[in-house]
Order: sequence, then C-alpha cells, then structure tokens
Amino acid sequence: MKKILSYTLIASGLLLASSCSFFKLDNYEAPEETLRGSVVDIQTGAPVLTDQGSEGIRVRLTETSWEGNVNPQDFYCMPDGTFQNTKLFEADYNIRVDGAFIPIVREDADGNVISDESVNTHIKGETEVQFQVYPFLNVEIVGVPYVKNGQIYADVRVTRAVSPEKFKELVEPMGDYNDEFVNITDIQLFVGYSSTMGYRARDTRWSNAIEYAGNSFEKFLGQPITINSLGSIPSGRKVFIRAAARINYDTPRGTGTRRWNYSPVMEVQIP
Amino acid sequence: MKKSILFSLVCLLMITSCVNMDLPSKNKISDDDLMSTQSGMAIYMARLYSLLPVEDFKYMAQWGIPRRSSWLGCLGIEGTGEALTRDGICTSFTGEEDSYWSEPLKLIREANHLIATLPEYKDNYAEVSFNEYLGEGYFVRAMAFYQMARRFGGIPLPLTEIEYTPDEPEKMEVPRSSEEDTWNQILADFTTAAELLPQTAAKSGYANKYVALAYKAEAMLYAGCVAKYNETVAGRLTGLGEKTGVRVIGFASDRWQEASIKYFTEAYKAAREIMKDGKYSLYKAKWVAGDKEAIYQNMVDMFSDLSSPENIFVREYSYPSLTHGIDAYSSPYSWRAPLSAGTCPTLDFVELFDGLPRYPDGTLKVTDGNTNTEGNYILYDDPMDLFKDVEPRLRAYVILPMDTFRNKEIEVRGGIYTGALPIKPLHSDYSYQTANVEYQHLEAYTGSPKTLYLSPNALTSQETVEVKGEQMTAAGYEGPFYSNGEATITGFYLRKYLDPNMKLEDIGEGKSDQPFILMRYADVLLAAAEAAVELELAGAPCPVDGDNMLQIATDAINDIRERAGAELLTSTLKGDIESRNIVRKERRKELAFEHKSKWDIRRWRVIHEEGRDGFWGMEKDASTYSSGIRFMFRGLYPFYSTEADKYFFDAHFQWVARKTFSYNVVDYYFEIPSGEVSKSKVIDQQPNR
Repeated sequence: MKKILSYTLIASGLLLASSCSFFKLDNYEAPEETLRGSVVDIQTGAPVLTDQGSEGIRVRLTETSWEGNVNPQDFYCMPDGTFQNTKLFEADYNIRVDGAFIPIVREDADGNVISDESVNTHIKGETEVQFQVYPFLNVEIVGVPYVKNGQIYADVRVTRAVSPEKFKELVEPMGDYNDEFVNITDIQLFVGYSSTMGYRARDTRWSNAIEYAGNSFEKFLGQPITINSLGSIPSGRKVFIRAAARINYDTPRGTGTRRWNYSPVMEVQIP
Repeated sequence: MKKSILFSLVCLLMITSCVNMDLPSKNKISDDDLMSTQSGMAIYMARLYSLLPVEDFKYMAQWGIPRRSSWLGCLGIEGTGEALTRDGICTSFTGEEDSYWSEPLKLIREANHLIATLPEYKDNYAEVSFNEYLGEGYFVRAMAFYQMARRFGGIPLPLTEIEYTPDEPEKMEVPRSSEEDTWNQILADFTTAAELLPQTAAKSGYANKYVALAYKAEAMLYAGCVAKYNETVAGRLTGLGEKTGVRVIGFASDRWQEASIKYFTEAYKAAREIMKDGKYSLYKAKWVAGDKEAIYQNMVDMFSDLSSPENIFVREYSYPSLTHGIDAYSSPYSWRAPLSAGTCPTLDFVELFDGLPRYPDGTLKVTDGNTNTEGNYILYDDPMDLFKDVEPRLRAYVILPMDTFRNKEIEVRGGIYTGALPIKPLHSDYSYQTANVEYQHLEAYTGSPKTLYLSPNALTSQETVEVKGEQMTAAGYEGPFYSNGEATITGFYLRKYLDPNMKLEDIGEGKSDQPFILMRYADVLLAAAEAAVELELAGAPCPVDGDNMLQIATDAINDIRERAGAELLTSTLKGDIESRNIVRKERRKELAFEHKSKWDIRRWRVIHEEGRDGFWGMEKDASTYSSGIRFMFRGLYPFYSTEADKYFFDAHFQWVARKTFSYNVVDYYFEIPSGEVSKSKVIDQQPNR
C-alpha cells in the first residue's frame, strides 16, 4: 500500500513538473527598442514647440510588418517638440505626427493620397527620425515680463510660420477648403507651477486668453500684444509661463482639436 | 467472473443504445417548436423583448446597455448637467464600458431569423397576429440598428442571417455601411414595423404601431441633426473608413442638406400620425387650471400611473420577480438604504424653469445687486419662499430645499452664518477659475472670529450653534456635508420617479418596482415641434397636407407648458434660431432624468468647446461654466443667518466631491471596440480617431 502511494506521489510529481515546463522561461522578451525623433520647422530648422499631452503633437506608430489589422499606438511629444519611446518591439513601422502644422499626410475628400511624408522604417536598437513640417505660427514672449499686484504682464508676438498662400496651396486639395482656416482665433498665457507648462499643466486661476473673431487678429501680426495673468499669484512663488496661439484649423482633420503653437517656457519669480 | 459478465453486459447495453440515434435532439428547440404556435412565439418574443436595447432604471451610461444593472440608480448624471453624483460614474458620455456592438448583432440575427422563417408558418396564424409578430421582428431590428447608429454612426447592416462558413471566413464579414445608408435602413425598418404592428399590442409592454412611429420620429430627429449639425463642427465631422473607403461617419458635402431635410420630414410625419390618430394624450388626471398644487401633484403621479394615456412604451417592473433600486440609491439622506443622493439636480438645470428671480444675465438672483458678487444677500423666512412662483413642474421633478417629501421636511442647509447684517456674498469670486475655493476654505470658517459653521459629516460630526436656546446643527439633516457625498452635493434632490409613499424599511436594492416610461406623448409633441422648426429653418415645405406646421409646433409647446404650469408662448414659433431654442429648452426641461437629454445635446453637437454656448438648448455663455474642453455645474446652498433668523442662498460651483466634465469632437462618435477592428479585415475604426 505504502509502495503504491509513493509511486503515485512520484508519478504525479513528475506530471506536475512537466506540465508547467519547469525549466523553460515561459515569457516573451520585453520590448526594448528605442525610437527617438523630433519635429522641426522645414524652413528654419527650429523645433516645433508643443504641449505635453493629447492637445500637443501626437505621434502615431502603425506596425506594418504585421499581417492584417493593426491598431495604431499613439503617444505624445515633449514640450520641446521631441519624442522618444524606449519600449518598442523590433518591427517595421509607419510613423506619423500630427500637431499645429500642415498635415504631413494629406488626402483628398475621396481618400486619395496627395502627399505622404510619414516615415516607414524598421525600428531596431536606437532609431532616430526627424519630421520637417510647416508649423502654423511662431509665438514668442518679447522682452522680460513684469509683475504687478501678483499679476504677470507679458508681451506676446505672433507671426505666421507659413504664409496663407502656402497654407492654401497645401491644404485646399484636401477638400472643403475655407479661407477662414488661417484666422488666428486666440492667444493664451498659460501660468502655473509646472515647468512643463502648457494647456494641460496650466493653473486655471491665473491663465488667461484673448479671443479674436473672424480675421480681426490680422492687424496684430508681428506686434507685441500685452496679456496679463488673472487672479493674484501669491508673492514669493516661482511660476512658469508660456504663450500660445492657434488658427482655426483642427489637426488631424475631423478630430475638432485645434492645437496651439507655443513659445518657450519662461520662469517668473513673483516678488 | 461475476464482474466480467456484468461488465460485458454493460458494454452490450452501450452498443445497442447507439443504434438509431438519428433523431431530433430532445433538448434542442426547433423552428417548428417555436414558430408553429402562439405559445412558441410567446417564448421567441419574450427573448427579443428582454434583449431589446432600452435605457431605463437598469441602464447606466458609463457601463452600457449589455450590463443591465440597476446598481447605483442615478438619472441624468452623464454630463448632461441635469444632475450630479459623487461617484466616478458621473462623467461625460464619451463611451460605454460594455460597448453596444456585439450584443445587438446577436439580437439582429434573431430578428432576421424571425423575419425570414415566420412566413413558412403563415397559415398557422390569423393575419393580424402574423403581421404583429413580423412587425415586432422589424421593430426589434430597427431599435438595435438605431441604438448602434447613434453611438457609432455607420454600422454593419446584416439584413439576413449570416451563414456559418468557417472555410471562407471572409463570407461572414459584414463591413460598416455609410452613415447615410444606416439611417435609411433604420427609417425603412421602423416604417415597415409601423405598417405591420396593430394599434394595440397583444401584450402590455410590447410594441404597437405608435411605439414604432414614436421611435421613428426620435431616430429621424437624430439623423436629421447629425446630417445638419456635423457641418457646424470643425472639420465637418465626416470621414472615410480606412479599410473600406466607405463614409462611415457623417455625410458627403453634397448630400447632407438633402438628407437632413428628408429625415426631419420623416420625423414630422411620424409624430403627426400619432397626434392625429388621437390614441394618446398628455396626462392630466389630477390637473386643475391655475392650481399649482394640483398641477404639481399631477406631474408627480404621472410617472407611476400605468393607466396614463400619455404612456406609449413602458418598461414595467414587478416586485419581487423583476425589480430595480431607484429608491435605494437616489432618495434623500433620511432614506439611506444602502445609499442615497445618487441623483442631485444642479442649479443650472433648475435655472431653466420659469418663475425664479434672476440677474440680468439670466442666472438665479440671490443678492440685491446685479451679479452674485454685488450687494447683500436677499433674506427669506423659509427657503421655499425663493421658489414660491416657480412653475410646478420643477417641484414635481426636483425636491427643493425644505420642501416636503414622504411626509417629511427635507432639511437641506449648507451651514449657519453668525456674522452681522447685512450679509455680503461669502465668496469674492464666483468664476470658473476659482471654483476650487469652497466654503470650508473661507476665512469666515477657518479664521477668528468664526462666523460660518459647516458640517463635514452627518450626525455626531455636525457642528452646532446655539439658536434661541437650542442647539442647531450647521448642516441640515439631509446635508450637504462637505466631507461626505452621500447627502445632496448640489442642494437639491431628485423627486421624479421616486416612490412618494415608500417607507424606510421597505426601501432596498432590488425592492423598487415602479415602471420606467421609455416613450411618452410629450416626447412625440416635442419631436413634431422640433422637426417643424428645423424644416422651416431649412426652407422645406410642410410634409403633411392641411398642416400649418409652425402652429402645430406652437400648440405642442403650449400644451406641454400648460400641463406643467409654465408660462405660455404668446406668439407663434418661427423658422429661426430663437424658436428652435424654445423647443430645445422645453425638451431639456420636460424630458429631464429620462435618458433623453444626453442624446439631445449629442445630436445638437453642443457639448464640445466651440459649440457649448448651446448646451442648455438655449444661448448661455459657456465661458461662465467652462474652460477649454472642461466644464462644471453649480449647486444652490441655503444658509441660516442667526442674526436675521432668516435664510439666504449662495449659488456656487458644486461643493462636495466636485465633478469636472470634458468633451472633444471625437466623442460624438464612440470608438469602435478595438478588438473588433483588429480581428476583422473590413470593420473600420472611426476615421478621426
């Protein structure tokens, strides 16, 4: 009886061991390929500054080496217009970016491709890509902002990075063109404690916006416009500010998200 | 030896039992069983109706239709602005956890099977019964298509059973149709159903001709609005599927106008057919002209009276076999069993109603100044005095502070103020930007001398103040408590649909059985009015001979207003935006807490940042309650002044467990479940995602 029992034990022990592939690591290698990239102005080579988050530049990866249907994977640029993803599987990918610049993949109303500057590449090790785009606007804070009664006053200058003619030339073939697309609709002053300042990180108590109807901004192009923060920022605090402006055109088309072009981040000490 | 004989015998038995097995299995129900008799069809129908996609007490927007759970029982909390609740379910309607995608396709298959197979048994039934069954098949299919279409736009439209062909998997694939084809199919199916169904259903709770017509009107309004108002959204809100090139969302630039007029025309015709046949009317059993109490009581009763001539389509419940829990979740704090205050109406919603004092900008007046930062608070002996002239409909839908419910005064008090008179506004800034400064952060509460008393929680956690020799709790018995979201968080409680006679010991999860009215005559009147104004706006002719459609629309609105005790229109509606907004606002008011508004604001395309001024069905500057893609709603909090021995009100962004909503243009079409997109060669994701 004892014998039978011990045989049974040994046999079942063996079974158990073999059934879960005891000596084999049952796991797929973790993804570890890296993609780095940047989005720059095709005319000046300057980086296209953006927000950090889904209102900023979207990077869309679509694996092309996989047969059949692939769901794209999206991630977003850093505020300086660069991006990286260090956890990718080795494969062929299509990479496209969408932000406050003329779409790099342009299709007409029937879905025929007019122009496609997305990148097809094999990602292995460290892969670097650069996208040269036509940003809509250049936004800068001119001079040094000053603080009065806990409010920051900044001079914001907005210029066009792409001329309305060039915009029309590139965008009109996509269909449903409207001359109002190029109208500048608002300028923003984002204020808050985060150094990655932008729409997402802004403090709504202090951030301010000026809106412009129709093409009424046109006369302010290239002119410094003074915009002040709202409320009262407590004295002794250090905040970060950033200016932004956008045109009446959503990217990617149909999402309704009109993205801003941004100035560099600036640090302000509240006396 | 004995054993082996037995063993062989058993073996022999087994062998013999295998002979002649070519018989229909007893545990499988065949078409013959189901479709040849009325009792079989009753079973078939029971299943179709139990899977019919409706939104009632067992529907929560965040969870989706397939879950069919009455847990948490809230109404209107999905970013419609009607109501708020403390929990995470209180969020914008941007998708559903259980997508309504694969379940309806199963239901559609069963409807298709009925439509295809029942004609083989036609001789077994009288013609009227046969037509009714067939009509129900079309009705169920139309409802499933409709519920999918308003979520996703263009959808797969299988009109016959798909054969199982494992060797040729591509034969089983049905791609998404264009959005226009989808709405055309829905139109066709509702039309067929209305032709086949009888005027009175064979069973209570089942569809009849008018149910099909009413849903047809509702669906066509949705379609007409999508075609028209997609044009008001940046990017025209349309696009082609990546895999098929089919216009799976929106309408082509040369098609939208014609399509929208066609759909509004169909909506008007369907609604008018119901109105003309005269089977239904507004519920006025206890209504007495000019008697506010009677008008109020009439509107409370109409939601539980199954004999109401207003009820077109009703989901009935019956304790203990089929129940829900609305009273267990949305009653005031006193009836907490196990939860309470699941539905807290907002001040923004209350402000839609007539008969309230207002500032020049239309918001509720609580001070004697021109905005709520100016002047001194207006004092009231009884908080209900603020609402003394309000239309009775509001009282029937919402429990106002200190109103009576279940024979109890609903003591809602934000706190007690002990400072001197006159009283200046508690906050210096009521803008969106400073919404996070709450009463418990104010100097009057935290500083010294302390003049403001509030309660973080109920019962023993209440702060108290001595008033006329007695201890008075800072917050009312029914809240609000600033650290506890289980009492009101807005100052209001829901009244609509709650059982006014239930006792605390009878309330519980799964213990309520009042019916949910899925479709009522007021909805039909509003559909006719909206379609009429939209047709006039588009310059289209009146679709029904002999109708003056603007007069019909005006009468429809006035009938509803009269029943509600609201102010009547003094002039006829016109084909302009103002008239359109009158109809829309009436809809927002009348059909609140009925799972309708979330679809209305969606089809009007007024939730996203650029369109949000129209969110309330009328023009209201969105910047007063939103910033960018985000927005919030307000509450109204009564405070007791010890110096005056009177009450004053403060209107502020929702105090406890504050909810912020956000909405983007892409949310007007839900994402197709990604698993469905990646496993199929033909199912397209939304092109703007």
